Amino acid sequence: MEPVIVTKNLNLYYGHFQALKDVCLSIGERRVTSIIGPSGCGKSTLLRVFNRMNDLVEGAGVTGEVLLDGEDIYRPETDLLRLRKKVGMVFQRPNPFPISVFENIVFGLRIHHLYRRNKEMLHGIAQESLEAVLLWDELKDKLGRLATHLSLEQQQRLCIARLLAVKPEVLLMDEPCSALDPLSTGRIEELMQELKKNYTIVIVTHNMQQAGRVSDETGFMLLGELVEFGPTERIFTAPGDKRTEEYITGRWG
Amino acid sequence: MMFTPRVTQKIAFGVLLAASLVVLLPVGVVVFVILKNGLGAISWEFLTEMPRSGMREGGILPAIVGTFCLVTGALLFALPLGLFAAIYLSEYAGDNRLNRVIRLAIVNLAGVPSVVFGLFGLALFVNFFRFGASILSGSLTLGVMILPVIITSSREALESVPKSFREVSLSLGATRLQTIKHAVLPHALPGILTGTILGVGRAAGETAPILFTVAAFYLPKLPTSLFDQAMALPYHLYVLSTQVPNVEAKIRYGTALVLLAIVLLMNLTAIAIRSYFRSRKKW
Ligand SMILES: Nc1ncnc2c1ncn2[C@@H]1O[C@H](COP(=O)(O)OP(=O)(O)OP(=O)(O)O)[C@@H](O)[C@H]1O
Ligand SMILES: [Mg+2]
Repeated sequence: MEPVIVTKNLNLYYGHFQALKDVCLSIGERRVTSIIGPSGCGKSTLLRVFNRMNDLVEGAGVTGEVLLDGEDIYRPETDLLRLRKKVGMVFQRPNPFPISVFENIVFGLRIHHLYRRNKEMLHGIAQESLEAVLLWDELKDKLGRLATHLSLEQQQRLCIARLLAVKPEVLLMDEPCSALDPLSTGRIEELMQELKKNYTIVIVTHNMQQAGRVSDETGFMLLGELVEFGPTERIFTAPGDKRTEEYITGRWG
Repeated sequence: MMFTPRVTQKIAFGVLLAASLVVLLPVGVVVFVILKNGLGAISWEFLTEMPRSGMREGGILPAIVGTFCLVTGALLFALPLGLFAAIYLSEYAGDNRLNRVIRLAIVNLAGVPSVVFGLFGLALFVNFFRFGASILSGSLTLGVMILPVIITSSREALESVPKSFREVSLSLGATRLQTIKHAVLPHALPGILTGTILGVGRAAGETAPILFTVAAFYLPKLPTSLFDQAMALPYHLYVLSTQVPNVEAKIRYGTALVLLAIVLLMNLTAIAIRSYFRSRKKW
């Protein structure tokens, strides 16, 4: 199977500080890949390479290759807007806009001038997206409600729906459950299994049990290095690197 | 002499309370005196008629209309310009020398005395651009004067919009401009409006900037073009109080009351907008 994302000798610098060191990995289609590692090791940075959100940081520079469907996204002629439409992101804190539920979902469509004149289409996509995050039944009568008045879990689902509306292929999730309680977390994890059927998911998490539960592949990072990358099973039962083992057992023991 | 902490606490409380009352006092007195002496002058006729007999009788309509025109003109000039500048400064400008100079200039502009703006308007708009003493010159002068207020409050409003809104929008594939338009501006609008109204309220009450640029001593007709001179409430008040002998006190106070009411109304609008949106926003 062709991988969706491949990095080759990826280095990333914030000014003189090297945040990613020679990262090589490949992420399979319609699989969940999790990135674990201690705070500050570069997990978010790596995730933000894939949709080039790092470009917003002044002085950030990248060397090496990052291939998405075989094409290097760091070539100068890359269409950034198309890239970000294709590779969407869910953030750590649920961050709906303080506008209605409906307007939140169609935000991306409005940006991309899709279905401008076609209210039915717009509504159809809103429904589809809400259904995909299992929120339609709860919210179908509350589309006009202020999104910031929803529960945190609903807000995070809504943020995912807002993303799905623009039809991405890859979902990047940066600790999507860290603001949620265990029950909500469990339900979002179930949702990820559901989404995996249609999307490629990369998730950063601090929670190793979560990585174990949701992901097919796991990468362990330390100080900007991708120490180990492989099937989740193997990483957790038979890590090949001493540092991985120490991290995993240290946290568990 | 020694007090127990409880007594000290009470004394401190009393002193602080007294200080706030002292601040309140002049406001109360001003409002009271103006209301007491001016309310009697307020009538339909006073608000809708031309002044007569050398401004000793009749109404103050041209001054009200003049102030209204000046304020609107200042707003039309200063709001777009100030907003664009604020957007540039808070969304685009990096930290280089040019931008630091611009920011410094704005801070300093806010501290320039209003009479200096008057002279500036005289030199630039009246004489250099040959707009003459006119509503256009006066509006532009007032506009320049409130520009720093609008820029500063707009910048604050823009910068108070969470960074995450911009990130989400960009991550969905929006351009910087779209992000500003759809994810930032709508949420900064209340703050921008509030600042703008406060600025405009200030423009409505200023005398010095319009003194050389537009204000007519006595002009009992309504302006018909941008190049007309006009009367304006603050200047009219000044004229009534110092230049015209034998004016009934109630006409003076009535004029002051109208001016005060306009400015107060604008400030209340600003406060209402702010508190309405503050109750809605939660991020
Ligand atoms: N904008 C930036 N400018 C400079 N250095 C940065 C920037 N963002 C992150 N860093 C540095 O890069 C390193 C990696 O940061 P990153 O946020 O990717 O870590 P992380 O693994 O996601 O950490 P956490 O688990 O705390 O979220 C850290 O040392 C951090 O200080
Ligand atoms: Mg992080």
